[in-house]
Amino acid sequence: MTRIFLISDRINVIEKYDKLCRENSYDFKNSADLKIIDDILSAEAQDIVLFDNETSSFNVKEVLKNIRSLVENSIVILITGNKNPDKDISKSINAIISDDFSDSMILAALSINIRAQSSLKKLADTNKDLAASLYRQNTLYGISSQFASTLNSEKLLEFMIEGLDKTLSFSLACTLSFCSGEEPVLILNSLYEISDELLNAIKVRTIYNYNSLFENGDIPFKIDENKLKVLKYIKFPANRFNFTLFRFDNMFARIALGDTFYGCVEVFKENHFSPEDSKCFQTIVQQVTLPLKNASLYQEIIETNQKLERLEKLKSEFISIVSHELRTPLTSIKNSLDILLSGRCGEVTENSEKFLSMAKRNVTRLSGIINDLLDLSKIEAGKMDFQFKPVSINTVMDYVKSALSGLAKEKSLNLIIKTEENLPNIMGDSQRLEQVLTNLLSNAIKFTPEGKNITLKSELKNADDIEYHPCFAEYMKNLKGDYVIVSVEDEGIGIAENEYLHAFDKFAQIENSLSRKAGGTGLGLPIARQLLEAHNGAIWCDSVLNKGSNFHFAIPVDSANIKSEEILV
Amino acid sequence: MKNILIVDDEQDIVESLKFVLETAGFNCYTAFDGEEGLRLAKEIIPDLMILDVMMPKINGYKISRLLKYDSKYKEIPILMITARSQEEDKLIGEETGANEYITKPFDLDDVLKQVEKYLGKQN
Repeated sequence: MTRIFLISDRINVIEKYDKLCRENSYDFKNSADLKIIDDILSAEAQDIVLFDNETSSFNVKEVLKNIRSLVENSIVILITGNKNPDKDISKSINAIISDDFSDSMILAALSINIRAQSSLKKLADTNKDLAASLYRQNTLYGISSQFASTLNSEKLLEFMIEGLDKTLSFSLACTLSFCSGEEPVLILNSLYEISDELLNAIKVRTIYNYNSLFENGDIPFKIDENKLKVLKYIKFPANRFNFTLFRFDNMFARIALGDTFYGCVEVFKENHFSPEDSKCFQTIVQQVTLPLKNASLYQEIIETNQKLERLEKLKSEFISIVSHELRTPLTSIKNSLDILLSGRCGEVTENSEKFLSMAKRNVTRLSGIINDLLDLSKIEAGKMDFQFKPVSINTVMDYVKSALSGLAKEKSLNLIIKTEENLPNIMGDSQRLEQVLTNLLSNAIKFTPEGKNITLKSELKNADDIEYHPCFAEYMKNLKGDYVIVSVEDEGIGIAENEYLHAFDKFAQIENSLSRKAGGTGLGLPIARQLLEAHNGAIWCDSVLNKGSNFHFAIPVDSANIKSEEILV
Repeated sequence: MKNILIVDDEQDIVESLKFVLETAGFNCYTAFDGEEGLRLAKEIIPDLMILDVMMPKINGYKISRLLKYDSKYKEIPILMITARSQEEDKLIGEETGANEYITKPFDLDDVLKQVEKYLGKQN
C-alpha cells in the first residue's frame, strides 16, 4: 500500500488529503509535531511526503533541511497556498501542489509521482541484483583461478568450500572427502559450534546421503560412522547450532567426474537458497572436479616416480652387493688356478696347461665384468669418488701404452704414439683416465687384425675446431673453450654410422657374435662416457667400415692452466 | 723361519695363501675370525700379518688399529685384503696403519712379492 505522510497543521488541508487518501486506499498519516514526524519517518519509509509550505507551527525550511536524510528515498511534494516557496526549498522537493488544485489534479500529481517512485525502486532493485550477480561472477572467477593454482586435492576442496561460503553464505557445509588418503574424511565448516549429539546426527545423515548416491551399484567405500574422521572448522564458537539445523534450507551435490568419485557436499542455510544460489552451488562443485582429476593424476605420477627411484637405487645396491659377493669365490678359484699353473703342485702337462689357462682367462674376464658392473652402479648411484688433480695427459698415455704393449705385441700390432708437445694440464682423476684409455686401447687391440697399426694421439683443440659426426651434435654442443683431445685409431672392422651412438649404450655391443668372440661386457664405453662426463668432457667416434674406427675423447684444459713442465719441476 | 699370520674368514683364501707362502719358505699361522686373529697376533707376535677387512666379530680395520697403536705390536707389517676397491676404503686402511692394501681378486704372486718386500726372499 502506498504510504503518504502529510506534514501540516492546516485543518482544511489535513481533512482534504485524509479524505482523498481514504477514497484511493492510500495509507495516510499526518502530524505537525516535530518529534512525531521524526519518529514516523525513521520508523517506516514513506512513499510520498507532503509538506505544507504554510505550516505555522515551525519553520518549514529548517525542518525540511533537518529531515532531509529521512526522506531521501521518498517523493517530497510541497503544498503551497498563497506564499511563494523559498528558493532553497524548491531545490529539495520533487513537485509542488497548489491549494487551488482540484482533487483530480492532486490525485494525478500523486499517482504520477507514485509511478515514478515505483519505477525508481524497480531500477534500484535491478541494480542491486546486478551488483550481487557481479559479485558472484567475481567470486566464481576468483575460485576458478584458485582451482588452477594448485595440484593438491585437499587444497582444492578447501577452495571449493571457501567459494561456496563466499557466494552462498551458508550456515553449515558438510563435505565428505575421498581426497586425502585411503579413508574418507568429513569436513564441517560451520558458523556455530556443533555438539557431539548433533555431530553424530550429521554423520548419519551424510553417510545416508552418500549411500543413496550408489543405490544402483556398489558403494566404493563402506563408511563406518564410528570410525569416520571429522575435521571441524567453526567460525563463531561462542554460539551453538541445535537440531533445528535440519529444518534449514539445504542443497546436496556429488563431487565426481565421470565414474571417478571424489566425495559429496551438503550445505545448510537458515534463510532460503535462491535459484541463483542453486546454480552457483552446482557450478562451483562441478568446477572443482576437473582440477581434482588433474591433482590425482599428478599424485600418481609422483608416486610412480618415487617407486622408480626406489627401484633404481635398489638395483644399484643389489649390483654392488652381488659384485662384492662374487669377488670372494672368484679369488679362490683364481688362486687355485694360479697355484696349479705355477707348477708348485707338480709338473703341468701341455693339455692341463691349456685348460687351466682357459679357466684362468675366463676368471679374469668374469672379474672384469664384475668390476665394470660395480663401476657403473657406483656412477649411477652417484657414489663414484673422483680425485681431481692437475694431470698431464701424455703421462697417462705413456702408462697405458706400457701396460698394454705386451698384449699388442702378442698380436704383432704396431703401436704408434703421436703426442703433441707442451700440452697444458687438465684437471682430472688420473686413475679414471687410465681406465678410459685402457679400455679404448684394449678394444682397439681386440678388434684390429694381426700385423696392423694402432695410433694413439694427443692434441690441443678449441671446441669450435673439433669435428664430429652430426649424431653427436646434441651431446657435443655444450663444449666450450680449449680441450685436450686423445684419439685411439685402429684398423679393425669399423662401426656403421647408424651404430655410433649405440656404441655408448649400456649392454649394447655392435655385433654381438663378434663382441663375444672378442670378449667384454659392452660396459666399457658407457663407463668411459660417464667417467668423461664427470670430467666435463666428452667421448665420440667415427669410422670407415672394414678400414677402422677412431675413438676420441676431450677433457677441458685445467683452468689454472699449469704447464706440464712446471708440474714436473 | 719367518712367521706369518693369515686372518680371513674365507677358508679357501687362507688355504691358498698359506700354500703359496709355505712353498716360498715361510711359516704360516691361520685364524678364521677377527677375535681369534687378534689373540694369535698377541700370542705369537708374527713377523707379518695378512688381514681381511670384512670379518665377523672384529673387522680387519679394528685389528690393525689395535695393533698399530700398541708399541709391542706396532712394528708388525700388515697387508690388508678386501673386496672393496674404493679410494676411501684405501684411505681408511692407511689411517688404521696397514702397510699395504690388496684388492680381491688378487694375484698370489703379487702377494708373495709384497711379503718378500718386507721379509726378504726365503730359501
